[in-house]
Amino acid sequence: MIRRILALVKKEFLHLKNDWWLPAFMLFGGALELLAVGWATSRPISNLPMMVWDMDKTRASRNLIISLENTDVFETPLPAYSLNEIEDQMDRGNINAAVIIPQGFSGQLYSPTGSPVLQVILNGAESIPAKEAQRAVEGVVRGLGERIALQQVSVNSEQMKGFDFSLRVWFNEALNEAFFTTPAELGLMLEFTILLFAALTFSREREFGTLEQLLVMPFSSAEIIIGKSLPVIIVGLSDFSLMLGVVHFGFHVPLQGSVTLLYLLAFIYTLVELAKGMAISIFSKSQHQAFLLVFMIGMIDFMFTGYAAPVESMPKVMQIVAKLIPAHHWLNILRGLLLKGTGVMDMLPDILWLLLLGSVIGIFSLQYIRKNLD
Amino acid sequence: MSTRHLFAVIRKEIQHIFRDRGTFILVLITPTLVLLLMTYALAVDIVHVPIALLDYDQSAISRKFVQQITAGDDLDLYATVNSMDQVEDLLNRGKIKAAVIIDPEFSADLLALQGFNLQVIIDGTEPETGGFAVDHIGWRAEAFANDILASQLQSAGIPLDSLQPIDLRIRAWYNPSLKPQVDLLPGLLSIVLGFPAFSVALTLAREHEHHTLEQLLATPITRIELLLGKMIPYILAGLLNVIFIPLLALAWFKVPFHGNYLVFLLLSAIFLFAELSMGMVIGVFMHSQSAALALSFLVVMFPGFFLTGIFFPIASLPEMARLESLFLPGTHYAIITRGVFLTGIGLDILWPYAIMLVFLGLVFTGTAALFFKKRLA
Amino acid sequence: MTDQAYIQISGLTRKFKEQVALDSIDLSIRQGELFGLVGPDGAGKTTLLRTLAGLLRITAGQVTAAGCQLHKNPESIKPKIGYMAQEFSLYGKLSVHENLQFFGDLYDVTSQDQKERIPRLLTFAQLTEFQDRRAAKLSGGMKKKLALACTLLHQPPILLLDEPTTGVDPVSRREFWTILNDLHIQGTTIIVSTPYMDEADRCSRVALIYQGSIVECDSPTAIRSRLGGDVIKVITSDWQAARELILPLPGVQEVQSYGEALHVLVDSAAKASRRIKKTLGKAKLDILELREITPRMEEAFISLIRKMDQES
Repeated sequence: MIRRILALVKKEFLHLKNDWWLPAFMLFGGALELLAVGWATSRPISNLPMMVWDMDKTRASRNLIISLENTDVFETPLPAYSLNEIEDQMDRGNINAAVIIPQGFSGQLYSPTGSPVLQVILNGAESIPAKEAQRAVEGVVRGLGERIALQQVSVNSEQMKGFDFSLRVWFNEALNEAFFTTPAELGLMLEFTILLFAALTFSREREFGTLEQLLVMPFSSAEIIIGKSLPVIIVGLSDFSLMLGVVHFGFHVPLQGSVTLLYLLAFIYTLVELAKGMAISIFSKSQHQAFLLVFMIGMIDFMFTGYAAPVESMPKVMQIVAKLIPAHHWLNILRGLLLKGTGVMDMLPDILWLLLLGSVIGIFSLQYIRKNLD
Repeated sequence: MSTRHLFAVIRKEIQHIFRDRGTFILVLITPTLVLLLMTYALAVDIVHVPIALLDYDQSAISRKFVQQITAGDDLDLYATVNSMDQVEDLLNRGKIKAAVIIDPEFSADLLALQGFNLQVIIDGTEPETGGFAVDHIGWRAEAFANDILASQLQSAGIPLDSLQPIDLRIRAWYNPSLKPQVDLLPGLLSIVLGFPAFSVALTLAREHEHHTLEQLLATPITRIELLLGKMIPYILAGLLNVIFIPLLALAWFKVPFHGNYLVFLLLSAIFLFAELSMGMVIGVFMHSQSAALALSFLVVMFPGFFLTGIFFPIASLPEMARLESLFLPGTHYAIITRGVFLTGIGLDILWPYAIMLVFLGLVFTGTAALFFKKRLA
Repeated sequence: MTDQAYIQISGLTRKFKEQVALDSIDLSIRQGELFGLVGPDGAGKTTLLRTLAGLLRITAGQVTAAGCQLHKNPESIKPKIGYMAQEFSLYGKLSVHENLQFFGDLYDVTSQDQKERIPRLLTFAQLTEFQDRRAAKLSGGMKKKLALACTLLHQPPILLLDEPTTGVDPVSRREFWTILNDLHIQGTTIIVSTPYMDEADRCSRVALIYQGSIVECDSPTAIRSRLGGDVIKVITSDWQAARELILPLPGVQEVQSYGEALHVLVDSAAKASRRIKKTLGKAKLDILELREITPRMEEAFISLIRKMDQES
């Protein structure tokens, strides 16, 4: 039996040689994508264009403008001289924020009972940078306001330890965006490449008409399944290693936990997605269909991995559904092992879920595949 | 160019779209479906972020502070703990996203105007929720400290209304509550309309794989007739998706539509021309369907997410990436859709982007025609 | 011949990645000829036909057909050619009628003409009742007939057919050749490649391609007569043993096996028959049949190939 399986595997690799780009894409596409995406998105939001309409033109207002510029979030603020100008630039999407400093700002600021109004307009058409801009402005204004207020009452602000509480960040001291995004991307890429590869295995044969030939050969369905799985597993795990390398050496994401455990769990996860992929490939009548299904499933999984939005914030129903998605647990495990260095015990719930889901999916897929092969 | 040839190819492609289930779904249903799904996924408001509290002070003031922090939906008190070990454990297990540790000298220092002894630890593996926790804890802490401080100062005879003299009035235009789905949906449109582009790449590859290319090339058809004939049905299919989207967006996600509908359709058609001709270039080079798919995904979808300014502002991209984004039709269309849906600007402001799209479309189509030889080898 | 060749091929060479598929081919085909192309697999028949159809780039040499110069402008020949590929190359998802319409449009056959010609072609290909069936669901023979119909719609002066009857049942094959003969009578120039020797026999002239070169090019009768000898057909109870015995006999040029039968190429039928009978009798092999037969293209062909192999 082993010999027959090996023969099948050899045939698969020979075929792959013809379409050498398929494993090449699997291997390098994922890593390249990771590199490119990680590089582009691991930067904080910065250089946002903004305008300031300074109607006060005092030292205080200029200080405010300089403070805004000193945050990395904004580019050098452009001067505006009317609301129309601001409106026009906002409409065109050329600025993300505008600050309006009223006349008398400085006067009011330095008077003990004054409460100067500062208007900030955010470009809500781009909500993500808008939020960042909001944060930055609030930070600057708060700091400025506090200092001025304390100055007024001649309280040395050095005396007070200040009202910034001390913030410690665990697992990701530099709050490096890449630490968050790249493990998630790594996990997702692995899922996608395995799913796609697996989904193409049978649907290609069907579309080319070689499936019938395969079925009349003296292979048992188990042998066919194993024979087709091995190349996917090999390429999948190689891909994972490559991407891990990119993430670790390229983005300096640490590898806190046990590497053996990581590979073991990666292997299990690979099997789970493999089972899903093969079921898809048997079901699909064409490569087109297979791709479509993989994409749809990939998208749905993506929703629940917490990459775009945290799962805890979703309605209870969605949270329950999330528990049924293998990728959800895989990402938790991945983050745990890479960033937190968690041990088996802490990750146990996720591991158990993965095994449970894996078994269920695996059994169903196997039955389905065998039924259709025989 | 012979319109007879062109229409023959268009007719054939349309027949194929309707007769292949996969293509039909990919092209006519998937874009809208995925758009709605993705917006739904991204429309999540962050609430109920679990945190833990470690109160070393245990004074009236600290207890009042704790109450303030946990009032409201945004932060959920997962547990009150007694030691750092417990904090560590909860963070490790991912049960909490942040922990607030109140120093034993907290109330004393605060009353003596010595400062604010608070430690906040966040789980850096999720900067979103961690950052959210920091912000919200911060606001609460600030308000709290402000009150205490102000009353302290006043009883010490120092007249100070508040530590925050500046009245900051923040407004967001076009999307007042800064709901992510409102600006993401128009942006996502440029991503999901990439699916017809995949199909275009596939249709040429399919002729290779199914051996129909030989017979086709033996006819007098010209390259332009063939490529355009293959693209046009998919542009129309893409447009069919686009027609109903403003309605769905408004009904389902309350995304406004301030612009001119006809202008929107026109610009969408131009975008589809540019985007699909990108797919055509891929189809010319890749002779197998799987290869075409793989490359399409790498070149059309992924950069579409990260380089088009939808999720991540282009201003913040490194220079190389910014340059690349100029050549993606999605970048320009994202600006167009944002303008048409949210800002209400018209052709008078958007025309440069339309021109750019036409230019890109011509460049890509030209490249495809150049490299597509009417020879088998 | 003083009339200029309708299709003139001079020094046609086609190289593909260091492999020479066609090696300096010279052929002159007259208008209205029914020209056959035979040769083993990989000899270059398909390559030659594809090149003539403008589908492959010419590495060297000149090809002029119906006034068009393929080496300069391959696209110019396409409206004048009806090309039928070896593998089924039509759209499986389209119906018979839709395929015809599609190719009709691509060959600029007006709707008026299409309305008139399509029903006629369907009748003559016996596909009328199947005209709405998806092409993928047709039988092998019907697929070939459909492909042929698609080449005829625009009434081209030249037909290039690549193994049009391979994989088709004998009855359909017969019908196919009836159609070809009709076209031949009507004056269409037809170049057809075929693995079937009996079909080669029906052509005006036949060219034998071997490893990219033309080995023979003449009428079937001429080729057959070049065999130089007679052919004796021998059927015994053990053809393998018989073969071993007959081969070394004097006057025997070669022995070809056809299933149970042996076709022996000899210098003289009379002398050889006697010798064979004697030898086989001595070995106690039963002779079930022994008679002289007319040499066919098959024998000529195999003999030629064998000689070429020996030479190289």
